[in-house]
Amino acid sequence: MQLLRLAGLAAVLVVSLLFAVFVGDQGPWYFAWVIGTIMIILISGAGAILLDAQQDGKIGSSSDQEV
Amino acid sequence: MDMINPTVVDLSRFQFALTALYHFMFVPLTLGLTFMLAAMETVYVVTGRKIYKDMVLFWGKLFGINFALGVATGITMEFEFGTNWSMYSRFFGDMFGTPLAIEGLMAFFMESTFVGLMFFGWDRLSKQAHLAVTYLVALGSNLSALWILIANAGMNVPHGAHFDPDTMRLQFDSFVKLIFSPDAQAKFVHTSVAGYVSAALLVMGVSAFYLLRGQHRQFAARSFRMAALFGIISTVAVITLGDVLGREDYMEQPTKIAAIEGLWHTSKPPYEPWILAALPDDAKQENHFEIGVPFVLTPLITHDFNTPIRGMHELEDAAAPRIESGIAAVSALRRYQETHQQADLDAFKAHEADLGFGFLATRHAPNQDVTAIPADALQSVVEQTKPDILPNVFVTFWSFRIMVFLALYFFALFAISAYLSLKNKLERNKLILKACMWSIPLPILATEFGWITAEAGRQPWTVFNTLPTFLSASTHSTSYMVFSLAGFALLYSIFIAAELYLMFKFARLGPEAHDAPHSDDAYAAHCAVVGTPHASGH
Repeated sequence: MQLLRLAGLAAVLVVSLLFAVFVGDQGPWYFAWVIGTIMIILISGAGAILLDAQQDGKIGSSSDQEV
Repeated sequence: MDMINPTVVDLSRFQFALTALYHFMFVPLTLGLTFMLAAMETVYVVTGRKIYKDMVLFWGKLFGINFALGVATGITMEFEFGTNWSMYSRFFGDMFGTPLAIEGLMAFFMESTFVGLMFFGWDRLSKQAHLAVTYLVALGSNLSALWILIANAGMNVPHGAHFDPDTMRLQFDSFVKLIFSPDAQAKFVHTSVAGYVSAALLVMGVSAFYLLRGQHRQFAARSFRMAALFGIISTVAVITLGDVLGREDYMEQPTKIAAIEGLWHTSKPPYEPWILAALPDDAKQENHFEIGVPFVLTPLITHDFNTPIRGMHELEDAAAPRIESGIAAVSALRRYQETHQQADLDAFKAHEADLGFGFLATRHAPNQDVTAIPADALQSVVEQTKPDILPNVFVTFWSFRIMVFLALYFFALFAISAYLSLKNKLERNKLILKACMWSIPLPILATEFGWITAEAGRQPWTVFNTLPTFLSASTHSTSYMVFSLAGFALLYSIFIAAELYLMFKFARLGPEAHDAPHSDDAYAAHCAVVGTPHASGH
């Protein structure tokens, strides 16, 4: 089962690499859009998690923290 | 052949501009909100904190309102190509119809199918499956935009096509060339990311409204933080990608770039100033006053300091031989249509590249027939046609500047907002919160002006250097056009009023309007039950 999962992940990796090589070569701005959108989502999500962490670290210090 | 009625052409243009601008009020929000929802849901799946699910539900409701009205306004436009632009559809249908069909069959259906699952699948799908659905909605909506913009890029630079003198249509050589054309790529990424900016400012503005009122503070703080970061990166990207698109226009559409920059004479590098403000006079072909920043224009457009940029007067002069050659192409094509002789085909092939300029001369030819121009009147027709190659400079110049100035404002607003949010100092800065709230409509305005720049700048062509706009319209009566225009204006105004009413209503109600509780207190109670720390520290 684990071998099958590994093979599946390897297949996804190969397809992603082929996609990156082909689109990166033929359509660099499309490729930039894919990478950029993923980056925007991750940074935006990280910002929210950072807010959670900032507030979690201050539990008990104030019941009405400034946001 | 029916004579061209300029009033009908103008009304057709006005009607299409009106419907496209109405439709484009909804599109950017859809493009951006879907990815914002995906980002929020990703955090929900990763952290398990319910507040992020509440965010997806609330902002998803605003997305749903926008999506429904966007679809309603978009469908009519596809029919408009057939009803009002039948000559264009016939001439350019192969190139234009294929991406539109793919958009309808693949992207739009994908988006619409998964929208249903996104809204009603919360209790039927696992967290991960629902997240995948949300990403598919986001991908589907942006792929819809991709195919529309590929079609539009074909109008700007018809890559991968040739004119067939037997069918009298532009026909495909390579679909791949069209999809991967630099113009299609630049247009798509610029437009898509402009949608991200619009969505980010909507989320940030409504969140600012709650923070100003002291309502839903934890909900608003997280929404604001995510939107500010989403928006600042998107704004940097949209400015950078705008430069890419500008460079494409410089390479392929010199008249558009000259009009955007109000450049009547070829520039003198490296001093040539970038004009911040001017009053371009289309009739006199000059600017009445100019305020500019020296040494900026050449590197901005050409990415070096030495290359001159051709001005509109020089572009007009350069068009004269092409107009003459185009008239010869139309004459040879007419003969070939009648005789089907190789000699006539060869004569046409010799001038084929300038065919569009021959069409452009139609308006100034006797009885609108360029084959009937007497030899002694040829130069006069060429001289009369020369100014026609230019777009409306005033409109193109100012719509571009409004878009750019707004983009720079967004950059400043997002940067300050992201900084204050990261430092947890938002609520102290009421001025910034108010600015965010009142700026909600501005990105929509910026995208509208961006669209006007692109479309007005392409004039006088529907297919650049190939098919003039005045030859593209259907031959309706003026009364038909006035009646349908009034109908569209009324119907679409009702759509806009409905959108504004519903958006305001649900934004004012806030996230507590959902079935699930998610006030700050309820969130604290939830955290206590599930064992996750409560963000507000209660």
